[in-house]
Amino acid sequence: MVEDQIPAPPTGRHLSARDAVVAVCVCVVLLLLFEGASIRRSGEEMQSGWERTLVLSVGRPAGALSDRTGLGGVKDRLVAWAHPDDGLSGPGGFEEAANTGSGVQPVAPVTSDAFDPRQLGLRPARPRTLRTVLVTGDSLAQPLDAKVARAFAAADNEVRVTRDARIGTSISQPDIVDWGQLAATQVRRKHPEAVVMFMGANEGFPMRARGRTLDCCGPEWAAEYAFRARQMMNTYRQAGAARVYWLSLPGPRDPARQRISRTVNAAITVAAAPYRAQVRIVDMTDLFTPGGRYRAAMPVAGRRELVRQADGVHLNDAGAAVALRPVLAALRADFGAQRVPAR
Amino acid sequence: MVFPSVEFAVFFPVVLGLSWLLMPRPRAWKAFIIAASYLFYAAADVRFCALLAAVTLVNQVGATLVGRVSGDRAKNAVVTVTVGLDLLALGFFKYYGFFVSNVDEVLRDVGLGAPAPLLAVALPVGLSFFTFQAISYIVDVRRGICERATTVDLAIYLSFFPHLVAGPIVRAREFLPQLRTPRDPRDVAVGAGVMLIIFGLVKKVVIADFLARNAVDPVFAVPEAYGAPDAWTALLGYAVQIYCDFSGYTDIAIGLALLMGFIFPQNFDRPYRSLSIREFWRRWHMTLSRYLRDFIYIPLGGNREGQAKTIRNLMITMILGGLWHGAAWGFVLWGALHGAALALEHLRRGRAQSLPPAAAWLFTFLFVCLAWIPFRAPNLDTAWAFTQRLVTPGPATLLTPGIAVAIIGVLALQVAPERPLDALRERLVALPAVALGASLAVAVALVAAAVPGNAVPPFIYFQF
Repeated sequence: MVEDQIPAPPTGRHLSARDAVVAVCVCVVLLLLFEGASIRRSGEEMQSGWERTLVLSVGRPAGALSDRTGLGGVKDRLVAWAHPDDGLSGPGGFEEAANTGSGVQPVAPVTSDAFDPRQLGLRPARPRTLRTVLVTGDSLAQPLDAKVARAFAAADNEVRVTRDARIGTSISQPDIVDWGQLAATQVRRKHPEAVVMFMGANEGFPMRARGRTLDCCGPEWAAEYAFRARQMMNTYRQAGAARVYWLSLPGPRDPARQRISRTVNAAITVAAAPYRAQVRIVDMTDLFTPGGRYRAAMPVAGRRELVRQADGVHLNDAGAAVALRPVLAALRADFGAQRVPAR
Repeated sequence: MVFPSVEFAVFFPVVLGLSWLLMPRPRAWKAFIIAASYLFYAAADVRFCALLAAVTLVNQVGATLVGRVSGDRAKNAVVTVTVGLDLLALGFFKYYGFFVSNVDEVLRDVGLGAPAPLLAVALPVGLSFFTFQAISYIVDVRRGICERATTVDLAIYLSFFPHLVAGPIVRAREFLPQLRTPRDPRDVAVGAGVMLIIFGLVKKVVIADFLARNAVDPVFAVPEAYGAPDAWTALLGYAVQIYCDFSGYTDIAIGLALLMGFIFPQNFDRPYRSLSIREFWRRWHMTLSRYLRDFIYIPLGGNREGQAKTIRNLMITMILGGLWHGAAWGFVLWGALHGAALALEHLRRGRAQSLPPAAAWLFTFLFVCLAWIPFRAPNLDTAWAFTQRLVTPGPATLLTPGIAVAIIGVLALQVAPERPLDALRERLVALPAVALGASLAVAVALVAAAVPGNAVPPFIYFQF
């Protein structure tokens, strides 16, 4: 026998469908007036596609209205107390540096920092005693950050690992997080002797520099990216007092993203050139995608294991364990076996 | 597309308005709502729309055949094949990697090679929910307690965007009758719907994500770096986080459906006030627990065949319930712990001496919290490391006033008397439409301001 079991409707006053539409419309109108600029900004930050078009088709006129009436500013002041302090109002932003960036410049001097002493057969200068390791980046930095932290925690050598992964961010899209400012803030707050940086999952956004928009992934885009990455490297190396371990990108599965990944890898190599004494490029590309071929699984300790997540971009837990080894090896080479665990 | 996003804030008002506009013309409304729901799903990954359509068609063919073939054996065979195909889709996308890597490990130990290629298979969002709903449809049609729906109605039932990606698991016989006649535009629970959306947003974005960032994620990532005070803060924080995250999503889903004139079943009823694990499962993810009861526990024999088989059935049901959450041993262990606790309670039932309510509450709550450890930890090693930290002395570095207020506040609301809260709710839902809309706008603005970096982390249950 057929048994309909429609759940009981909620108690309390019921209104009409018209009221439902009115309630939602009131909400929408208020949000357009007060949040128009935020909607526009969200649309501009989105990857191209129908969702971006949809949001911008609403956000642009709403943003203009919000700007003109000044209601957006009123709302920002009213809800400022609720906004978590991300400490990103300081100097060092990409925008600030853009006008002096990767354009035609006088020939820059080559300094001794451009040489890794080991390449010259020399003994490298001993860095400060390792007390704080900062593991940062975008979503790629997870779960590697936890692996690094657990390795140090197990070694119990009083080295503190600070994890600061900023999901969904990129160097090419500073409107969400300006990594130039963030790097300065991280250094100011944490004073890390070593910085492990792994990012690039969300790159490929057009970049604004010197009044122009540079589309990925031509030489000009690569040059601007390298400039921004170099700015961050310079901040992290703290005038030579700290060491930076910048991980190259393992090739992604998606052919369209492979192009971005190749460009980012080329850019960070160029970016690190003046700071070879302090900045190491840790190779994840050949480790995970030898010969440029994507693979989801690879041999790990004698058995094949999945090392990539299903999205074809990120490393999974086993992949992060694989990535951990060269990272720790690079740290040990600089800071010694007493301060850095082998695994 | 997730509910707390700008895209959805643009999508929903348009769909709501058109939905009520088209409601008097059922054929046009149905075509529109399927298109809107598939558009919503395509925003996650357009390729998975084909899977959703395939699950719909397979189950409709099965339901049609159930009506056409004669004899119980033939009908059962049709249902078996249809459910098998549903489970095959679920198994391939959700459990392939887990299954192959574990079989590989066993075979390697006995000197045999890898049986199948290791693939990182992408999990279509909502797959666990819509395949379970599809199974409920075909099985209830076979049982004769649900009529065969038209293909269009079934497509709406499975794809209806408010419940598509993370439930609640609405049974066919709860939803399909609501499609038979247009929803009454004079009887819409607008106040309840708007309030549920507001509470859901606050629970998810303000409480759950705040606790995750500041108390839970750091400790579960590196338990070795923390002592007992922080481990307990993280554990209690996670108990509150997962409740607020999942029930927040459910509140929003139910609220959206109410605004569109549809009623979903309740999914949470203050679970942390439970005095037993049995009661907990009557209050936590209620649509999943009744599903497990009706489609696994009772078909296995329930409690009708003696104590030993009842315990076996409880263990099987809860382990499968754990595995439903994901392909990992931590979920299996979580299910097994709950199964064992339910079995123990079953054995103790009817005995004269029972714990005083306060002790029963504490015991139940502590058990539920401790069982969350393997559920939340990324692997069993970390779960063990975390458990050890619960008794390792150390400083309290995470417990700030904000975290304490969030944890204690949510738990206090769970155990508080119902009547004053209900009276407050009745007052809020009775507000006029304009006030409700303005309240929603204020809530959205505050919630948006509380999100660091303008990005809301995904709901926990999206991964299941």
